[in-house]
Amino acid sequence: MLKLEFLETILIRFRQQRWPKVFLFALLGTLLLAPAVQAATGGTLDRGQTFALVLLGITTVLLSIYLFVVIFQPERF
Amino acid sequence: MLQGIFQIALTLILVIALTPILGQYLARVFLQEKTWLDPILEPIERRVYRWIGLRDSEEMTGRQYTQAVLVSNLAMGLLVFTIIIAQPFLPFNPTGLGNVRWDTALHTTISFLTNTDQQHYSGETTLSYSSQVFALGFLLFTSAATGLAVGIAFIRGLTGRSLGNFYRDLVLAITRVLLPLSLVGAMVLIIAGVPETLAGVATATTLEGANQAIARGPIAHFEIIKQLGENGGGFFGANSAHPFENPNGLTNLVETIAMVVIPSALIYTYGLFAKNLRQAWYVYGIVLALFIPLVALTAWGEFQGNSQVNALLGSAAANLEGKEVRFGWAQTALWSILTTATMCGAVNGMHDSLMPPGGFSTLLNLFLQIVWGGQGTGTAFLFVYLILAVFLTGLMVGRTPEFLGRKIEKPEIVLASIILLIHPIAVLIPAAVTLAFPETLAGISNPGFHGISQVIYEYASASANNGSGFEGLGDGTVWWNLSACFSLLVGRYVPIVALLLLADGMAHKQPVPLTTGTLRTDTGLFTSITGVIILILGVLTFFPVLALGPIAEGFQLAHL
Amino acid sequence: MGSLSHSQPRSPSHQPRQQRKHTPKAKTQGLYQRAIKQAFIKLDPRVQVKNPVMFLVWVGTIVTALVTINPNLLGNATDKNPQLFNGLITLILLFTVLFANFAEAVAEGRGKAQADALRSTKTDAIARKLLPDGTVQEISSTDLRRGDLVKVIAGDVIPADGEVIQGVASVDESAITGESAPVLKQPGTDIASSVTGGTRILSDELVIRVMADPGKGFIDRMIALVEGAERTKTPNEIALTVLLAVLTQVFLIVIATMPPIANYVNSPVSVAVLISLLVALIPTTIGGLLSAIGIAGMDRVAQFNVIATSGRAVEACGDVNTLVLDKTGTITLGNRLAEEFIPVNGHTIPEVAQVALAASVFDETPEGKSIVRLAETYGVASFFNLDQAEGVEFSARTRMSGTDVADGTEFRKGAVDAIKGFIRSRQGEIPVELDHAFEKVSRLGGTPLAVCQNQEIYGVIYLKDIIKPGIRERFDQLRRMGIRTVMLTGDNRITASVIAQEAGVDDFIAEATPEDKIEVIRSEQAKGKLVAMTGDGTNDAPALAQANVGVAMNSGTQAAKEAANMVDLDSDPTKLIDIVTIGKQLLITRGALTTFSIANDIAKYFAIIPAIFAQAGIGSLNIMGLASAQSAVLSALIYNALIIPALVPLALKGVKFRPLTADQLLARNILIYGLGGVVAPFIAIKLLDNFVAAIGLA
Repeated sequence: MLKLEFLETILIRFRQQRWPKVFLFALLGTLLLAPAVQAATGGTLDRGQTFALVLLGITTVLLSIYLFVVIFQPERF
Repeated sequence: MLQGIFQIALTLILVIALTPILGQYLARVFLQEKTWLDPILEPIERRVYRWIGLRDSEEMTGRQYTQAVLVSNLAMGLLVFTIIIAQPFLPFNPTGLGNVRWDTALHTTISFLTNTDQQHYSGETTLSYSSQVFALGFLLFTSAATGLAVGIAFIRGLTGRSLGNFYRDLVLAITRVLLPLSLVGAMVLIIAGVPETLAGVATATTLEGANQAIARGPIAHFEIIKQLGENGGGFFGANSAHPFENPNGLTNLVETIAMVVIPSALIYTYGLFAKNLRQAWYVYGIVLALFIPLVALTAWGEFQGNSQVNALLGSAAANLEGKEVRFGWAQTALWSILTTATMCGAVNGMHDSLMPPGGFSTLLNLFLQIVWGGQGTGTAFLFVYLILAVFLTGLMVGRTPEFLGRKIEKPEIVLASIILLIHPIAVLIPAAVTLAFPETLAGISNPGFHGISQVIYEYASASANNGSGFEGLGDGTVWWNLSACFSLLVGRYVPIVALLLLADGMAHKQPVPLTTGTLRTDTGLFTSITGVIILILGVLTFFPVLALGPIAEGFQLAHL
Repeated sequence: MGSLSHSQPRSPSHQPRQQRKHTPKAKTQGLYQRAIKQAFIKLDPRVQVKNPVMFLVWVGTIVTALVTINPNLLGNATDKNPQLFNGLITLILLFTVLFANFAEAVAEGRGKAQADALRSTKTDAIARKLLPDGTVQEISSTDLRRGDLVKVIAGDVIPADGEVIQGVASVDESAITGESAPVLKQPGTDIASSVTGGTRILSDELVIRVMADPGKGFIDRMIALVEGAERTKTPNEIALTVLLAVLTQVFLIVIATMPPIANYVNSPVSVAVLISLLVALIPTTIGGLLSAIGIAGMDRVAQFNVIATSGRAVEACGDVNTLVLDKTGTITLGNRLAEEFIPVNGHTIPEVAQVALAASVFDETPEGKSIVRLAETYGVASFFNLDQAEGVEFSARTRMSGTDVADGTEFRKGAVDAIKGFIRSRQGEIPVELDHAFEKVSRLGGTPLAVCQNQEIYGVIYLKDIIKPGIRERFDQLRRMGIRTVMLTGDNRITASVIAQEAGVDDFIAEATPEDKIEVIRSEQAKGKLVAMTGDGTNDAPALAQANVGVAMNSGTQAAKEAANMVDLDSDPTKLIDIVTIGKQLLITRGALTTFSIANDIAKYFAIIPAIFAQAGIGSLNIMGLASAQSAVLSALIYNALIIPALVPLALKGVKFRPLTADQLLARNILIYGLGGVVAPFIAIKLLDNFVAAIGLA
């Protein structure tokens, strides 16, 4: 029982937190997209560069989402 | 040279002369005033209204109008997709054409539904007569009518009227505009020699004694609505370059004028709705001011010809590669620019073979979307740019910007911005993905700068709902079909929804009276500023791809 | 008397404008040092995220900083000397953000200096609160609540905004108005019964009813506003924010999709260059200056000694179509003076003077006093004992005033119609010459006041109205700006039309009652117009609330001030025109800088694109002849960063507004900021490129 409650709290906490979630998904996305970038660049990049590049790509997407929020709810800024 | 210029000028003069006549007619139809066709058509329309359960006086809000557009389009799309998929089991299939691949059927349906008519197949070897006539022929009318209805609703809202009723507008667009004009046009085409038959392939014995199968079909009526409705999807893969679709100079002239006549008239119609013809002509001026230089640039490029080829020939010759000799450089150049300007997308020569200036001009047309622009939507986009220009310039005269006495505030800017934003999203993102994997996805025939033009053109044509292709792409793949579907849908429906909501918002605003402190939008100064803003916004967005595509190619040719 | 609201604004408008401008002396020393410090503090991402355009630059700076540390982080570096190049880019980007922060900090700092000056007047005073049982309790002024009664005596600082309900005292209001002469405060009258917290009572004592909770008084509002603390975005600013975000989004897409396209033709571009191109293209100029423009605009309003309750109200001023103005105090000098007595009914001038004097002895208005003064020049004096007489006050309903003597004699003066009615009610006769006299005075643009003793009319007093010098030119300006002026006056039609003609107003409403004011506003608004008005009396409050822009005079009643969106501390109704100008200036400055920002992009494209794609063979597009790809990128970026501080003065002062028609204004501004915005960067980038190449940076 105690363990279940503990898991529940973790789950609720997880839902409440925004940035850790974004961070987690960014890392997962990096893992998923890295092979595609590796393929597109024709293997000229090493693993670290690929991961960095994917992270930059994800940052760009996040910025784009942020800009959409600004466009639709400019009052908040 | 002179003959070519004369051909271009004559066509343009005819178009301008027809503008007020058709514009007035359109205004009368959609303002529900009396026209001479009333006695014949009113009973038919009443029957149609009763059949679809429409009460004549029902007016729609912006939300309802949008819903009606989306729901009716979805229904039509499903119907057509079913017909194409079920083609082997349906009649009128004299050549016994078989199954259509699901992704081709989906792409074809969406492409015709969105008034784009991008074709990743050859009509004569893929689709039966029933698919061509009942499925696609049906969409040729309804997709054009949808665009026209949205354009009219937008104009109504902008001029402070309620948006009207989508179903009534759709019916009127077909019965009062597209059908009568097509009927007249088809007659002319048949007289001029375009075939119209339900018989199968004709077999002929050539001089060498070999047997040749010649595809034919009910072409004339398909051809005219293809042009008039800004559809552009050819009966044949070769489109209007095919001698059965466009056999001679006369048919070429008729088909050229048919492409532009409705979008051109719609600007005049706006003038009548807004009771400000002066502004309508100014806006028309913007269009011409962008159009004429593009035609001139393209025609000049084609007339000069390819310096490499000319060096081999030892003489100056126009570029006739990918052109029909019966049309020559001038009529092909004019057609290429008009078909990309009006989002018709029919071709009478291969755009892939245009010289770099032509590639540049056709691409720019697809990027701007307002040099006349698509059926209905092009005119609406023009006024969206006008609204953006009003916003910038209005601030500069120290007042909350207003257009036609209605204040431009946050909701208008958000909606106009979406329209501005959607094109780069739908063009650049899929193009970047495609070019990132040239071997697996792109299937480009010409590597280098021309390859960029090919890929960008394909998506720009899809998103702008043009439908013409740079060709040379192996575009019949699942990737091309599906990614183009994304551009088609996003490029069509997002702007339509935004346009309708924008118009609805404007219609409900309290008009502000004109004073000397109000910025007049029907002046030469304001119109020129709008033109420059259109050019800057369009060019700034797409300058890098233009630079790496046709511009780099042009320099490459010059420096070789 | 016929004035609409019978208060006479204590108008100092005859003083030169400069003297009234900017009174709470703000300290500007140390402003820039503080702004520089603030510029760094504002690098906090939580601050940056509020400004979409600059936030992108901020993120870009971090990425370029990373590739400076490790040039091979995001791909194998191909640039020449990548660490130096990336480092320079990082530095320029950082400065771009800092410059934008600095602009905002300077604007805020100027407001803050002004707020500090105001705040210094707000010492935490001890207030003597009057309890219901009559005892006095000493409490801190911050504990006062609306409705409390407080007692202030000579030397005290008035603890809160309120209304005098007892006592007569002189008050020094220089802290807020800059006017050094003390003002008389007394209960009852609209004019002098309201006091402002933070002002100092010089003599005697007053009992005041507190009208505002602590922190909600005028000074608090003004402080909050000029500091930018309570700044909410105005509607136009929000719309502009959307447009800037969209442009930024477009360019983000353009740049993000570029690498695969460029790679396809073997012209790879490094991440640092891509970020540079992005920053060059997004509208950083206007993005960096937008909030500074808004804050500076409020600051300018405050410098005019006007308290606005919101930026929205100031911006709305720019849109005003109709100004509804009281004649008295706005168009004419507040005080009409008795100029001449015109006898009728066979009376002599001294006889008229005698009656006029008798009717005016209790009249404390400047007009009444001027009648007494004029009468005394004829050597007449009061012939009854003042103790046995009683004054009859003017009211908007009766439109006359006078004196009732104990023996039953009634002296009256007032609007000719009103006196006629009075005579009729007393069965007196109305001489024909009266109408002649009435017309004669009216045609001169004066106000005729009939005087009578009991049922007999003695004559007419000619009250001369003096139109303010220069007012005609101001109305002409307004007309050119497309603003219609409507004059409201209690005067008769003839007088009103003469004054209207002379002053050059577009329309007038004569014999207006306070209700007419709100009617005029409603009917104009029904036509879709935005209406601004000024007012001071309690009966103006509904109209002030109805108007889109209501400016109350500080000398006016508390009710009027509550209803208005602005309060003019100098009580100068013509100042509305200045506020309209500020509102327009705000919009013009934003529009001009946005246009400039977008126009700049053409040159930046022509600098950067040919340079970085030189391998693609489009080097011929390098029409500026820039030295190298790296120097092209650097000079475009340096220009982009430097233009922000270069335009700070313009953003703070605002684009100069000229009262021209919209078309002329547009032509002018498009020439300067549109065409100028295209040309200027070409020249500047070329010069910077020469410089960068010369010192061997790239």
